[in-house]
Amino acid sequence: MRSTSTIALAALTLSIASVAAPARADTAEIDAYTTLFYEFGGPLEMLIVNPRANVRVNPAEEVSITAGYEADVVSGASVAVVDAPSSDVDVISSATRLEDVRSVVNGGLTLRSPFGSLRGSYAYGFESDYTSHSFTLGARTDAFERTATFDLSYARGFDSVCDLNQPRVQEAVERRRLDVSAGCFDDTNMDRMTHDLALQSFQGSWTQAWAPIFVTQVTLTGQLIDGFQSNPYRAVWLGRSAAQEHHPDNRFRYAASVAARLWIEPLNGAVSVFVRAYRDNWDVRSITAQLAYEQTIDGSIRIRAHARYYTQGAAAFFSDDYSLRPRGQYFTGDRELSDQESFMAGLSFVWALTPGSEGADLGPLSSFRLVLKADFIHHEFPGFRYARASVPNNNSIMGTLGLELAF
Amino acid sequence: MRRSFSKLAIAVVLAITSLGASGCVLVRPEQREFLAEPAMTFGSEGIAGEQEEHVLSNREGSAGAGAVTGGGCGCN
Repeated sequence: MRSTSTIALAALTLSIASVAAPARADTAEIDAYTTLFYEFGGPLEMLIVNPRANVRVNPAEEVSITAGYEADVVSGASVAVVDAPSSDVDVISSATRLEDVRSVVNGGLTLRSPFGSLRGSYAYGFESDYTSHSFTLGARTDAFERTATFDLSYARGFDSVCDLNQPRVQEAVERRRLDVSAGCFDDTNMDRMTHDLALQSFQGSWTQAWAPIFVTQVTLTGQLIDGFQSNPYRAVWLGRSAAQEHHPDNRFRYAASVAARLWIEPLNGAVSVFVRAYRDNWDVRSITAQLAYEQTIDGSIRIRAHARYYTQGAAAFFSDDYSLRPRGQYFTGDRELSDQESFMAGLSFVWALTPGSEGADLGPLSSFRLVLKADFIHHEFPGFRYARASVPNNNSIMGTLGLELAF
Repeated sequence: MRRSFSKLAIAVVLAITSLGASGCVLVRPEQREFLAEPAMTFGSEGIAGEQEEHVLSNREGSAGAGAVTGGGCGCN
């Protein structure tokens, strides 16, 4: 099962990306990307392969139609009962194996005019224990002689989460976890039930060119999530027994970011900075800072080096040991809700060709783009332990290979 | 303190609106050569950037307010 609230935001991002470039009539574009994410260290390794393909056709200058598919193929190991007694059993070595495939199909329509653009999209995500429907609407317009761009979008998600049916259980501390996804979304299986999850995301951004070499962007996002937000497979040791983790049903998340890019003419490159502040009503707070430099070579090659720092405070109800230090009525075994820091550094390479550039003869293609990207990420979880053991799998690598063709 | 902050915010909004309304353009079209460079376009990391955000938002407790693609150079 994937983290739920990111699905609507991903759809929202996808919708915005679909209006990234100006369109010419009677053209088509095909993108194919694959990202590999591998988290390693000890027995809790995790491998996620994310292939993605998109097609965009432009039957007229004012109209673009997009369709796409992506998947998350997940395999690895996780701890089913967090902080269970481990006097003679190493809780990490007893981790359970998991394999899952999440698929998302999507489609969208963008309409343009001299005054701006309107867009709408739909995405359907499905896996063995989770389904999602996400609708996104967006609008964009330029102002101040086209030196400013304003963009607004709204996404609505309707998700369903599979769980163990426990009609006689009244208290959260008595709920058992779901052990396998078999039987999910099968109406005849009385051992399974479905929880609803509703998501609403709002986003607004203002992009402004202040000088011929300097541009900024301010983005605000708000998200309301209402429904079952626990991981049904994860249980937390509460002292005498373990119960399925229990998160609040309502979450209000808001984030604000400021980004700037500065062109350095003597170097033929650009420096970019990005800072984001985040907070939600679970009292998770975070700051993200990113710095990048992108070098352009001969107009067709771009090399980008980037570094990112992330720091986060724990949710109000997070505890590393609920048997000794309970934190109210909610309990979680999710390390993503604990204190954490992460450091990321990476490089990306883009080779873009158009007919005539570098003497290229592209045949029926009007452009060709090859993208390579590699990152290393290190996480620190100072407040999270599996029994007495620190999180072992706190290093990861991520690589992306992409190809974009336009006809 | 709160009142002075509100006055400052109103002043900034009015100043920006006045700039646009008066036709006092900050960057004229012939000066936008560098702004049209992909390196100066927000979200120019494209799908690779989206996939990075997708992975990170699943490993961290926060999400949102990522880069919004394009804008600024008046090229689209």
